[in-house]
Amino acid sequence: MIRVLLADDEGMIRSALAALLRLEPDIDVVAECADGAQAVSEALRLKPDVCLLDLEMPHLDGVQVTERLNRTLATRCVIVTRHARPGVLRRALASGAAGFLPKARSANEVAAVIRRVAAGGRYVDPEIAADALSDKRSPLTDRELDVLRAGRRGETTRQIARTLSLAPGTVRNHISNVLGKLAVDSRQQAVLLAEERGWI
Amino acid sequence: MTSQFEFAASASTAAEVRTALRLTRSISATWWYGALAIVISQLIIVALLVDTLVEGGAGTLRAVGIGVGGMLWWLATLPPLFGYRHRAIDAPLMVWRKHLPSLLVATAFGLAAGLVTGVWVVGVLPVVQAAILLNWPPGVRLRVVLAVTGLLVALALIDVRLTLGENLAAGWPQVLFLSTVLPVVTVSSLWLWDVLVALDQARTSEARLAATHERLRLATDVHDLQGHHLQVIALQLELAERLMPRDPEAATEQLRAARASVDDARQGTRDLATRFRSVPLSDELANAVDLLRAACTDAEAVADPDAATAPASALGPVIRETTTNVLRHGGGRWARLSLTRSNGSWRYEISNDIATNAPRAPQDGGGGGSGLEGLRRRAAEEDGDLEVRRDGETFTVVVTVPAGDGSADEEVAG
Repeated sequence: MIRVLLADDEGMIRSALAALLRLEPDIDVVAECADGAQAVSEALRLKPDVCLLDLEMPHLDGVQVTERLNRTLATRCVIVTRHARPGVLRRALASGAAGFLPKARSANEVAAVIRRVAAGGRYVDPEIAADALSDKRSPLTDRELDVLRAGRRGETTRQIARTLSLAPGTVRNHISNVLGKLAVDSRQQAVLLAEERGWI
Repeated sequence: MTSQFEFAASASTAAEVRTALRLTRSISATWWYGALAIVISQLIIVALLVDTLVEGGAGTLRAVGIGVGGMLWWLATLPPLFGYRHRAIDAPLMVWRKHLPSLLVATAFGLAAGLVTGVWVVGVLPVVQAAILLNWPPGVRLRVVLAVTGLLVALALIDVRLTLGENLAAGWPQVLFLSTVLPVVTVSSLWLWDVLVALDQARTSEARLAATHERLRLATDVHDLQGHHLQVIALQLELAERLMPRDPEAATEQLRAARASVDDARQGTRDLATRFRSVPLSDELANAVDLLRAACTDAEAVADPDAATAPASALGPVIRETTTNVLRHGGGRWARLSLTRSNGSWRYEISNDIATNAPRAPQDGGGGGSGLEGLRRRAAEEDGDLEVRRDGETFTVVVTVPAGDGSADEEVAG
């Protein structure tokens, strides 16, 4: 029996998928969670074999749940999403996710992925991988990424300059280039965008 | 899906970004040309005035006093002038903090200079210039400048005929002439700047409009597509509902058909979104390396500098499929990718270590899979060739396709 935890904030989808998976002879859905935080606490309590995590959930998203669980548990995490934003597959793989598939897959296919992952394999959906390969490359230079990285916690220009041993004027130049290239208005927006795309 | 559309519609290429940056710099430079023209004209008038006073034997003390006062007036005109660059169109005529000091200084200097020299134009010009720099509405400013120029011309005539008389030769004509045209110079510079700003705004709103049009078109396409499929699905479900009591077998068939329709709709929507997502092959390779590295594989890629010209329609799917295979089935220690051109054909090679512990589907060749058959067919369609090698712990896929028309021409030429 493969013990599975299901986390999805959309109740209809969650219960339908749980019902369909329970029809499989070798899969047992041990928990159904409505958000990421609940998924973490339930997983720690029940120690399931496989966690099927929705990517977009309140509080903690699927990737963050995977990061937390992989630190403490031997459970295998599979991330499910409706549409893979640019950079998200890279984030998921880096967090140690064992599988990534779109929500559109039938319960049959999901069950096959669960079996494969439970046996120690990895599953990346070809459609999602193809999307990830046709992501736009970051238009930023390494130095510009350094500046964003050094300033991601809201550090001042002066602090960034000190961290990178640059003149404050140079840092300001880099930042204005970044804002121009990404077509955003503030450094904070630039950091958010770069984090979302997995550039920093 | 929506995010993919957003991404497609809002993404700007590096070239566009560079053009935009260059344009911003040019606009900035144009501002400085105009502003410097005004500033330097004012400075020349002050210098000429001092020079004329010295030449005319007005005494050093007076000349120095006028010089210092002139510089103060000059400095006082700078804040309103430079404030003009970022002013809002609907800003009030006068911002007290910005304009009052310059008006006061100009009045004081005008009074002093007028009394010392006795020349009307010199007394009036500083105040006129400070007043010109107020935030006049566009149409009004034209009338104001015409009025003050008329006033200055009249005063200059009075000065020439009455005040100066026989003193006229000593440099005064230049001072009077420059003073009379200064308001016109100032206003035309500011007008040029206004035109430039308006053009720039028109340009950006045009770009935004184009993006909005594109989005609107996409929205219509998605709407039509979904509408069509939903209608089909509704009919299939209704039929299934009617058939259920009499012919469960046929009803189930209709349910299956409805599910297939859902898949069609999804695939169609996805195709719409991916229509706008194409990146050069070199970028796909770089993305592949990033993905493999994120999955803790030691990955490296080598691509010829002109890899962007390789046939993307043939090699793109190959890169995607093989990278997915390595992610799914590979041993996870290392992977090497290369895309090189030789003898008029492109050669894509990917090799990786074979998984030792992962479970294998019967067809999986360590790093392969049934998808390889599809790739072989696709390569054959492009007159290419696919080769799969297993060599100890290494699994290698090599795809060779003929280079496109461009390189064939080169060969003929060479």
